[in-house]
Parts: sequence; structure tokens; C-alpha cells
Amino acid sequence: MTIIHRFLKTPEGLAGALLLAAFVLVALAAPFFFPRDPLSIAGPALLRPFQDWSLPLGTDRLGRDVLAGIFHGARTSLAVSLAAAAASIAVGAIVGTLAGFGGGWTDEVLMRITDAFQTVPGFLLALAFVSVVGPSLGVVVAAIALSAWTGPARIARAEVLSIRERDYVASARVAGMHPLEIAFREVLPNALPPVLALASVIVAQAILVEAALSFLGLGDPNRVTWGGMIAEGRTVLRSAPFLSIVPGIALVLTVLGVYLAGEGAVETAAKRRSLA
Amino acid sequence: MMLDFRISRRGVLAGSAVLLASTALPRIAEAQEPKKGGRLIVAADSEPRNLNPAIVASNGVFFISSKVVEPLAEASFDGKDGLAPRLATSWEGSADGLSVTFKLREGVTWHDGKPFTSADVAFSALQIWKPLQNLGRVVFKDLEAVDTPDEHTAVFKFSKPTPFQLIRNALPPLTAVVPKHLYETGDIAENPANNAPVGTGPFKFAEHKAGEYYRLEKNASYWGKDLPHLDEIVYRVLPDRAAAAGALEAEEIHLAAFSAVPLADLERISKVPGISVISKGYEALTYQLVVEINHRRKELADLKVRQAIAHAIDKEFVVKTVFLGYATPSTGIVPVNDKQFYTTDVPQYAFDVAKANALLDEAGYPRADNGTRFALKLLPAPYFNETKQFGSYLRQALAEIGIDAELVNNDAAAHQKAVYTDHAFDLAVGPPVFRGDPAISTTILVQSGIPDGVPFSNQGGYRNDELDGIIAKAAETLDPDARIALYRDFQEKVAEDLPLINVAEWGFITVARDTVKNVSNNPRWAVSNWADTWVEA
Amino acid sequence: MNRALRLIRRRLIGAIPVLLIVIVGTFLLLETAPGDAVDAYIVSTGGDAGLIEALRQRWGLDQSPMTRLATYLWSLSHLDLGHSVTFSRPILDVILERLPNTLLLMGSATALSFGLGSALGIVAGAKPGSFRDRFLSIGSLALYAVPGFWLGLVLTVLFSVQLRWFPISGIETIASGKTGLGRALDIGRHLVLPVAALGFIYLALYLRMMRTGMAEAWRQDFVLAAKARGISLRRIVIRHVARNALLPLVTMLGLQSAQMLGGSVVIETVFSVPGLGRLAQEAVASRDTPLLLGIILVSAVLVIAINLIVDILYAFLDPRVGASEATA
Repeated sequence: MTIIHRFLKTPEGLAGALLLAAFVLVALAAPFFFPRDPLSIAGPALLRPFQDWSLPLGTDRLGRDVLAGIFHGARTSLAVSLAAAAASIAVGAIVGTLAGFGGGWTDEVLMRITDAFQTVPGFLLALAFVSVVGPSLGVVVAAIALSAWTGPARIARAEVLSIRERDYVASARVAGMHPLEIAFREVLPNALPPVLALASVIVAQAILVEAALSFLGLGDPNRVTWGGMIAEGRTVLRSAPFLSIVPGIALVLTVLGVYLAGEGAVETAAKRRSLA
Repeated sequence: MMLDFRISRRGVLAGSAVLLASTALPRIAEAQEPKKGGRLIVAADSEPRNLNPAIVASNGVFFISSKVVEPLAEASFDGKDGLAPRLATSWEGSADGLSVTFKLREGVTWHDGKPFTSADVAFSALQIWKPLQNLGRVVFKDLEAVDTPDEHTAVFKFSKPTPFQLIRNALPPLTAVVPKHLYETGDIAENPANNAPVGTGPFKFAEHKAGEYYRLEKNASYWGKDLPHLDEIVYRVLPDRAAAAGALEAEEIHLAAFSAVPLADLERISKVPGISVISKGYEALTYQLVVEINHRRKELADLKVRQAIAHAIDKEFVVKTVFLGYATPSTGIVPVNDKQFYTTDVPQYAFDVAKANALLDEAGYPRADNGTRFALKLLPAPYFNETKQFGSYLRQALAEIGIDAELVNNDAAAHQKAVYTDHAFDLAVGPPVFRGDPAISTTILVQSGIPDGVPFSNQGGYRNDELDGIIAKAAETLDPDARIALYRDFQEKVAEDLPLINVAEWGFITVARDTVKNVSNNPRWAVSNWADTWVEA
Repeated sequence: MNRALRLIRRRLIGAIPVLLIVIVGTFLLLETAPGDAVDAYIVSTGGDAGLIEALRQRWGLDQSPMTRLATYLWSLSHLDLGHSVTFSRPILDVILERLPNTLLLMGSATALSFGLGSALGIVAGAKPGSFRDRFLSIGSLALYAVPGFWLGLVLTVLFSVQLRWFPISGIETIASGKTGLGRALDIGRHLVLPVAALGFIYLALYLRMMRTGMAEAWRQDFVLAAKARGISLRRIVIRHVARNALLPLVTMLGLQSAQMLGGSVVIETVFSVPGLGRLAQEAVASRDTPLLLGIILVSAVLVIAINLIVDILYAFLDPRVGASEATA
């Protein structure tokens, strides 16, 4: 309770928490406010915002409701970013734990693979991957995870290396636990917190990467995404700028919310440490 | 012109003045003294790898190379049979359909100074158009020999009767002549002139800076008197579709053809002083918006289901919303603006959701509890904004009649592979081109027995012996009227049996600064030679 | 110096397996792609089965993937990147033509974000917790949250179309015939907006790192000592605090290079800059496997080289750290 309290006391934490809460609410509320397929045609094409109160933010090129798109786009962003973060942290934690705990050749091979992934520009990799496999939500998630798992892997490995020699690991070894069991039951859980601290950055990056991919025409066409809305709005950027500006603002606020919340968390943790 | 009619009816363009100016342009230009010299900068959205129009007969290639390499004849608004002479001055078919005689222009030289002769035509026809060209393989398949009695006569000899009408219609897109002396040695496909073409046209190929521009220079010894007017044409590579409009406004380019300025931005840009929106000049390049159907799929093999889909599509909405009025609803497989073959006498499928639903019930596909009858995969071609947008619309239209369509967006290579090679689609959205004669690139859309992998052809596993019979018969019918009658029959059968669904037809839009003169003065303007185009200082 | 040489040698040897993994991985990825170079080519030209067959044979696509990979690796061991079927030219030529544009874009953007970022970081970190500090750090964070392509779009509409201060796209005025200084200025004018779009986004990284570093430095003994000796605040900030906080930023420079390269892909698209990123998109679209392999290889080498330089720099800047401990 006090941690949350302290977190909300930092201006970053408070602002971030508010933005994130709004984002999550919007994402969760989408099917209740807009039960229809957000891609269905709801009215005349290119209706400007604030003209028709049944379509408050207007409509796009085909007459789809922009507000419904924003709501359902939040859902897509939330799903994609959480899934991508979960996937990259899971993969990274496993690879890092194996490398750190296995040592020797396992470590060498796994770390060279990590190096290889870190050497190739992540976005280039994601772009190639999605254009080759074909855009769908799962593929986009995989593409983002593909370029984001190396950070968690490195941190997990470093943590594992420092934990490996601690008493409880040694006692597990003495007790005759299988090395893999030790790695994943004893070492990994203790190595996880610093890895999770990376989560906010990965979530924010995932939202941005998904938007950039959609912008380049590599989004899932069966889903509304903010990046896709910006990309479609771009052809009418001059005559109907709201079509790219509205989802753009939603995107910036969300990513900012994630960053601020992460920042607040770090600050809270730092204060706690300095108090302790 | 049909497109002009649509636009003026909509009356949205500040346009009416613009439009008048554009239609009247050729005449105004006659009164105005063309200015010599200057550079014209135009937007190019892609960089074709092979610039040889004799091998690759496609509009992307023509857009650049048509200024360098010329065909035997060009399309024309007022010429006889819709043609204007270029490298050939006259053409005549024999009564038996076995030969066509071309008289060639005298005093023409290639850009490297060598004279142009009938040997070049014979070489191009036999060594390139017939064996290598994507479209020529069909039209010139029975070409056996080209006799060259003198340097300026070429006589095409066919092994089977070949309709002269077809050859004539094929002259503008299929007959670019390349120099024999550069192509006779070595592998034609690997010839360096494919990337830096040498021709007889008003402009010489100067340079290509990949990712940036192509530059063409004036051919000072062009055969056309006092032509060309321009010193240079520069194609600025702007792969980003939204970039052309801004570049026009910032006066960084003069002209954007092939709807490089998105349709949705036309209304706004037409109001910018000094910029005109021109819909003329694409009459011979009609693109068709088509729903391709995979007949291997049980449900789609049922005519009632195909009819239901046809009834579910609101063509007027598509024209109005996807194309913003810059298109015409289709009535059948031959476009409305075709003057020779088109007939209205075919079954029509009015927009009628209730009827579509009834047809599906009748066909034995009732709605399940969740409201859907069956699900399918829909692959819109990625080449145009409009094909993709229509894909999004079609998904919604199908949802209304209980068909759950999942959109699959592929890039060009993957789409080609999925639809035309692997047949891994149920419905696809394609943009085939009507090129003035159904035999050039239209009958292939429904004909059976086409090998896998051929783009814009019947890859849906459709087979109709009666239609195949009509197509075969028309291919060897010499009498133009009899041929037209056969193709009318063909249109009717296609509309009846719906091997595919024609939704709309469109020509492109050119947006140009007013300083550019003699724009859109022939039906293939964007892919013609621009010898008489000039830029006001 | 000796230490630097040893570092270089060790890194170069270490790079070989990494590059090998990169190549094989990319190759396999493109192998699984639906459609090959011939399919991509046929889309724009049309053609029948005979032509398709002939092209596959001519481009060597009828061979098995393993044979092609082996052939590629073999010619690569002779430092030959192969021939691009898309451009009908040697791949190295194509890449070397585009590379300078990307380097220029990346380099300038990095300089902008590093320079301005660390300067603003000093301003913010000089008084931790002040309004100025909060404003700068949250403001830069907001910039960091902006998608690059969106910032690019907004900048173009504002400064190119409306105000006409800068050219809308491209790397230089096409076929202008400019040389020397005139050309350099021309390129500079074209680069302003793309560099701004790319550089402003990463500003936050350096600003915040500088600020954090300074906040920590404030608490250190030597700073307290300097304060006690009555040295002016400005002097303490610049001489002691900022200098110490600068070191991690140098490491960041290396770590960011791959991300900067990735970010430039989108920026190159928005501004039609003919660079490596756009080339990569073209290579993917035309399924030009050797070309994409070449691009990824070159960018990987670039990233490795930048990190190596950063490490050497680090070793010189901070003699306390042996080169072996410097992060990769």
C-alpha cells in the first residue's frame, strides 16, 4: 500500500498512472460502447469531427467511425504490446537463465546468438519478418518480440551469474536438484525483478513498432490499429488532418503514460532503497 | 469522355474551370507558341528494373521508356481506327488474315546514329515480341516470318488466319521497336540496353540514379519536325504515395500521372492556384476492379453463391466512396468506354442484400447461430490503394450476407504467389487492364487451361467449354463484325455465369502545374512520347 | 595503444560467428517467404510459365536452398557480396551508393540527439527536482513517445509545404549539377527535417541519462569537497559533475547505433531519402535475397564497428576501466 502511495506521490507516477488507467479503460470498454465491428461502415465518408454527435470524431475514407477505431485500436495496442512484452521477457529470461546457469559452450552459443540479434537493427528485422511471413496480429507480436528479447536476456544472464553462487543455490545443488530445475525454480524467480523493470520500455517500444509497421502497410487488415489509422489518414493528411492527428495523439499519450509510469516506478524504488 | 462526365456531374472540383481548361488544352496550345527547351520534372512511384518496352509491355515501363523507344503506331483521339502513325506510316491486312504489311517511316535514325530499317522491325517482332514479351506471346503466337522486301517495308506472315483488327488494336502497347544492331549478339534478356534503352524516340535515355531519378535528354535528330520541345524530362522517384501532392505544391515537380496524388486529395489540390486535375488521357488504359473467384472452393462453385456476392456489392457506393467518383460501375467484362466491343445486353446484378441472402438460403448455406454462413479468405491485390480499400469494403459487404471474410494483406510477390501460383485464396481483388481488344489481356481472365503462375489470368480453376469455344473461334475470325458479335456473346456468357465479378472501371488522374502544356492529348498520354509537351517559363 | 589493438583483434574474431549467425538466419527467413524474386518480377511485367521457368533458371533459383546458401557463403569468403537481380548490378556497388546517405542521416541525427540531449541534460541535472528539470525531462520523454514517422509527417507539412523553408523530400536537388560547397549546402538543406525527425526522438535518452548521472554525481565525495572549497556552481557542474556523467552516455552511443539504423528506415520512407533502409524495403519487396543479406551484413558490420570505436573511446576517456570490461 505504501509503495503504491509513494509511487502515486511522484508526479511522473501519478501522470503515468492516470494516462495508463485511461488507456486500459478505453481498451476494456470498447466492446460495450462500440459493439459493432469497428471496421464496418457507420456513416458518410470523411465526416469531420464534432459535426454529428452519433459520430463525434467523424469518419474515415470509407465512412468508418473514428472514435470506435480509437477505442478498438486501444484494445489492439494493449493486446499487441502486452503479448510482445510477455513473449520477449519470457524468451529473454529463459535464454538468459540457460546461458548464465549453463555456462561454457551453452553460454557461448546463446550469447553469440544474442549478439547477432542485437547487431541487426531491430526494426529492420521486424520489417523483413512481417513482410515475409505476412501481416497478422500474431506475426506482428512475434516480430516485435524478435527484436526485443535480447535486453531481458542479457539482464537475466547477469542476474543469474550473480545469484548462481549464493547459498540457497548451493544448498539446492547439494540436495541433488537437477541443474535445470535449479535454474528455473531457484535462480530465475530471483533474477526476474530487474528483468521486469525493462517491461515498461518494451511495452512502449512495442506500441511504437506496431504503429510503424502498420504505417508501412504491415498491420493486420482485420483489426483496427492506431498506426493503421494514421497510415490511412496520411493520404488525406492535408484535407482531413484529424484522421492522422487523433490516433497520433492517442498513441503519444499512451506511450508517454507507459514511460512515465516506468519512471515513477524507478523513482519509487530508488527512494525506497535510499530510505532502507 | 466518360470520366469527364462524372466529374462535371459531381461538380465538386473548383474544377469545372480546370476541367474545361484541360479538355481544351490541345486547342489552346495550338494558338499559343510552344516554348522551346526547359526541364519537365514528373513523379515516378516505382523503378522498373527492365526498361525495355519490347519485352515488358507494362504501363510502369512505358511511362518512362515510351519517350525513348517508339511503337509502330500510337493511340489517338481522332486518327483513323483510333491510331496515329509513329514508326509505321501505314498498315494493311490481307483478306486471308495471313499477312499484314507495314510501310515504315523513312529518315529515322537510332539514338546512336544508325539508320532505322525494316530489319529492326523484323528482329523485334520475331526475336522479342513473339518469344519474350508478356503480351506479345499471345497476340503474335502465329507469327511465322517477317519479310523485308525493302528497307522501309515489313510484311508480317502468320501461320494461321489472325484478325487484322486485333493486330491493329495491339499496335500501341505491343510493338515497341528496338535496334537490331544492339540486340543481335548475346542474351537479349541480359542486354545492357534493357536498363539504358536506345530507341528512335524524341528523348534519349541519359541516366538513372537508383532511388532518386531517371533523366532523359532531348534527341536533337528526332524525325518529328521541330520536336521535341523539352530539353529534358526528369522522373523523380517518390515511392511514398503521399509525397507527390506535397512535391507538386512545393513546385518541386510539375506533374504526377497515374493517380500518384491520392484520389482523396484531388478535391483539395484542385483548388490550389496553378495546379490542375486532369482525368483525360487514360481512355486506352482502362483498369478494371474485379473480384477473382476460386471455383475450387465448393461454395463458390455454386452459381447462386456467386450471384449472391454480386448482389451484395454496392457498385455505386464503391465508385462514390472508394474512387470518389473517378470511376464507372462495371456492367460486364468489357469496359463501358470501349467503342468497338462493349454491349449493355448482359444480365445485371443490382445491389440487393435481401435477394443475396435469399440466394444463399436457396443454395443451402443457412446462417449459423452466430449469423455466419461460411468463412473465406479474401486477398486484395496490394498494387493500388483502391484495390486494398475495396477489399475492406467487400469484407463488410460480405458480412451483411453472412459470409465471414478474413482479409489477407500480402505484398506484391506474396500476392502473386498466393493467388496465381498456389491458388491459396477464395476471393481476390485484382486490377486487370483492358487494352482495346478482348483478345489482348481480357479473355485470358476466364479461359481455361492456363498454366499456373501467370498473373492476371484465370487461376481460379474455372472451366466453361462454351466460353472456351467462343474465345477460340473469335481468335481466328477475320471479319471484324463477326468478331465483335462473338465477343458480345462472350460478354453475355461471362455475365451469366460469373467466373469473376466486375465491379468498376477506372482511368487514372493526372495532376499537373498549369505551366505544363499539351497534357493528356491522346488516349494513352502518360505512356506516349511527349514530343509536343512543353513547359511555360 | 597496445590494449586498443588487442581489443580490436579480439572483437574482429568474435564478430565472425555473430555475422555467420546473422547471414544464415536472414537467409532462412527469406527462404520461408512466399514468393521469390521471379514472382516479384512477374508482378510488374506479366508473363507465362515458360518465361517464369527461364527466369528461375537464369537467376539460379531452381537450385536447392542449401546449394544457394553454400554458393553465397563461398563467394562471401572472397569478399564478394554477389549480384543483385533487381538492379542488375554488383550488390556492393548498390549498397555503397546508398550507404553514405544513411550514414549522413544517422550521424547527424546522433550528433543532434547526443549534443543537444547532453547539453539539456546538464541544464536539467544542474538543479535536480527544479521546475526546469521536470519540464525538460518530461518534455523530452513526450518527444520520445512520438512515432518517428508521425513527427516526420508533421514537420513536412509545416516546414516544407506551408512555410516552404525546406525541401519536401530527397537527399539533394535532383540532377542539379551542383558540386563542392554548393552541393554540400544543398544536401544539408535536404537533411534538416529528416535529421530533426530522427534526432529529436532520441534526445530524451541522452538528456535523461545525463541528468541521472549528474544527480548521482552530486552526491559523490569529490563534488561535496569541491563545494566545501567554495568553487563556483557553474564550475562544479561543468568540470566535475557533467564530466563524470558523460561516460555512460558514450556507451549509450554504441548501444543506440542499431536502433538509430532501424529508425532511419521509416524516416527514409517518409522523406524519400535513398538510403540503406529504403533499399532494404525494396530488397524485401522484390525478394532479392542476396541484396537483403548484403544490407543486413553491412549494417551489422557497421554496428559492430561503431561499438568497437565507442569502446576504444571509452577506454581512453576512463583509464580506470580496462578495455576488457567495456560493455559491448
